Amino acid sequence: MFAYNAKLAFKSLNDRPSLTVLMVAAIAVGLGLFMTMLTLGHQSSKIPIPHISQQIHLVQLDNREVTADDVDNFNDMVDLTYQDTNNLLNLDIAGAEQTLAWNTYGILNVEQQEIQPQRSSVVATNHAFFSMFEVPFLYGKGWESDADQFGQAVIVLSKASNDYLFGGINSVGQQVRLNTQVLTVVGVLDDWFLVRKFYDRSYRQAGPDEAFVPSNFAFNNDLPRNARFDCWSTTNNPRKFSTNYLTELKTSECAWITFWAKLPQDNKQDYQAQLGQYIDTQKSLGRFPRDNQYFLTNINDQLIIINGSGGRQEMLGMISYMFFAVCLINAVSILLAKFMRRTKEVSLRRALGAKKRTILQQHLIEVIFIGVIGGLLGIGFTYLGLQAMLRVNLYASDYRNTVAELMPYHQMDWEMIMAAFSVSVGCTLLVGLYPIWRICNVSPASQLKAQ
Amino acid sequence: MEFRPIFLSIKHNKAIALLVIIQVAITLTVLSGSLLMTTSTLKEWNLPSGIPHHNIISAVPQFYDLDVDVRQSVVDDMARIKSLSGVINVSPASQRPFEAQGAQQVYLEATKEAQEYDTNVFTGNANLHKVLELSLIEGRFFREDEIITGKRDELSSTPPIVMISEDMAKVLFPDNNALGKTIWMEKGGSPAEIIGIYSNFMNGERLNYFGQSYRTVLQPLVTWENRNDPSYLIRVEAGMAEGMLETIRSELYKIDGRYVNRVEVLTRVQKRMYDGRGSQSIMLLVISFVLLLITAFGMAGLVSFLVTQRQKQIGTRRALGATKWDVVRYFMLENGILTSIGIIIGLVLSIAFAFVLTEDSGANILDMGYIFATAFFIIVINQLAVYFPAKRAANVEPAIVTRAA
Repeated sequence: MFAYNAKLAFKSLNDRPSLTVLMVAAIAVGLGLFMTMLTLGHQSSKIPIPHISQQIHLVQLDNREVTADDVDNFNDMVDLTYQDTNNLLNLDIAGAEQTLAWNTYGILNVEQQEIQPQRSSVVATNHAFFSMFEVPFLYGKGWESDADQFGQAVIVLSKASNDYLFGGINSVGQQVRLNTQVLTVVGVLDDWFLVRKFYDRSYRQAGPDEAFVPSNFAFNNDLPRNARFDCWSTTNNPRKFSTNYLTELKTSECAWITFWAKLPQDNKQDYQAQLGQYIDTQKSLGRFPRDNQYFLTNINDQLIIINGSGGRQEMLGMISYMFFAVCLINAVSILLAKFMRRTKEVSLRRALGAKKRTILQQHLIEVIFIGVIGGLLGIGFTYLGLQAMLRVNLYASDYRNTVAELMPYHQMDWEMIMAAFSVSVGCTLLVGLYPIWRICNVSPASQLKAQ
Repeated sequence: MEFRPIFLSIKHNKAIALLVIIQVAITLTVLSGSLLMTTSTLKEWNLPSGIPHHNIISAVPQFYDLDVDVRQSVVDDMARIKSLSGVINVSPASQRPFEAQGAQQVYLEATKEAQEYDTNVFTGNANLHKVLELSLIEGRFFREDEIITGKRDELSSTPPIVMISEDMAKVLFPDNNALGKTIWMEKGGSPAEIIGIYSNFMNGERLNYFGQSYRTVLQPLVTWENRNDPSYLIRVEAGMAEGMLETIRSELYKIDGRYVNRVEVLTRVQKRMYDGRGSQSIMLLVISFVLLLITAFGMAGLVSFLVTQRQKQIGTRRALGATKWDVVRYFMLENGILTSIGIIIGLVLSIAFAFVLTEDSGANILDMGYIFATAFFIIVINQLAVYFPAKRAANVEPAIVTRAA
């Protein structure tokens, strides 16, 4: 019976094939756009360093003036001042690792004249950065903690910088110049895919910075501070702090340093207690005029808030849903019309003893077949759609990103392929329900009388 | 009229009628939504630049050795660049057309309450107008001896004279001649006299987005700061720009202790200014076009199918004396009614969608003109999609009805 029904179903698909093609094409194109948007969202909403992301917390202390606005999530909160950063780093908290990060830039160059100097983005941080975030190393490793204290001239290069400056060889122990200072390479990163560049709170879809130096080295040499300064009780224009007035910046109430703590999974309380205590001692010195408040936000929670406010992607997402809906409606109206034409035939089969179940089976096969073919083609369209989006994004970034950098955000994984398939079959079945229901309820012989 | 039979037939095929209505409604919503997004992002799109940007090269060098004498190197750079064959003129410049940084404010009074006027300030030497090929509308250009040169925080005074663009003059002095008037570059700063008005040129994305593309002020000033050295705008012979990039780059590298960040033709800078908006809008337009195709083909497929269903009715009507045109008109009217209902629902949805998009994008994008135009367009497309199958159907011979089933 199944074979017979399948044969009937294919015969029906073959009848007026242009309509079948139209239905399948509509579903496939709609699914293609829908899955393209879904995949982009899926890939970019992944969590960086997922196995430890819940333990890594952004630390923010609310040291603003009494009149400042209330803030209810980390995204609107200020970061740390230089003072608080230093004080927190000096606290010895069992089980907790802490690091700081701020962005700077400089010209990396080497002795060899044939290699032109390269403007590079640099992160000023401490030794804990590399162990906390489990940064992968190709050669060497991060610097030791004593390098932090005196701001030794050591540097960790990204893989790309090492390729550019040293042709990809093991450059550990070699010397490189940042502007005019000579630094010794202690480590070279391996490829480090971050999903989102979280450590500087930009959450951009980008790779790691081109070099890492000890924060105190950057301060000693007055490297530019590429940061947003949230200042209170200062007369200077905060923007000037990026290249000027370092001494004043160090003592002023300006928040600009990103601070991270890695806490054991089951024990946040100790660290929180320490923070509370710290704020209390500072209060006695006349700082922290507001209620005790600090923000400890792990990477997962940060991304929930960051992903919640994506304007353009969301708009395209909405359009793609509606687009898919139109395509499905298109398919179902054709399906309905097609099935309805068959009432006479179905009525005859029913009169000759065919059960409702048989009729149901025949039409289900037909609908599922459309869904499967639509799904397969739709995956093809999704691939094309993602390729197109990759080109568009390359163009929009003025080709400053490479294909390899953008690729991870523009490819399907098995999860997405399975999703495409089930969405296609599921939606086709869903919209096919009504036509199937109509055709199954044709009463036997009712259509046989002459018109 | 034939409304009654149409309504009867719609009633008979309620489900299909409903589906057509929903499809039209959603199509209108998506289409007008993307059209509104596109038009709002593309407004101020690709306006004339006002300068021969194909023949202007921009170079951005930066000293990493802070002990270099910047003043001397600027003089040297200018001389060396100017001596290259193909170079017509060169000027240091604080900003580049198409890529001016955030807006700066100028004022017409020295008081604290003075009204702010957004603009972009470009600085350069007495050659800048030659590099940009600005034409003089009134007054005069800067003279060589009026250029103030020095490190920014060591300057003792700001230039006492400025030039403003034609558009800027219209904004600042809508009723009067701007020439000879005074403006303040900073609140409570020192005044500057307008000595000339020049033809418009494009400032950058920021003001362009707000329809203020040509508001600029020129200052006779060549300044630098630590790690923020003057960049150069270089006017070269037509057609030679691309080929000269490497020459200029290696010429600038001849001084030690410096890094040459970007040497590029201004056309590339112009592309960057528009490409974010352009790519997004083109993507939306492509999506809309595909959607329109699907709707049109779907409609045509559906109608041609329904028409074959009703061959016998058509035959009967023809046998009873209906003309071919009557039959075609019947189908078009039927589709017209359904489409119109869909359009009415779609209009409501479109306006709601436009509000959502407005909230998301922060700019008011609602424009009923575009929504009505889209609605009209959908009606036309649907009528066309019906016309052809209906015309074929009308060719049914009246005698068909007399044959046995």
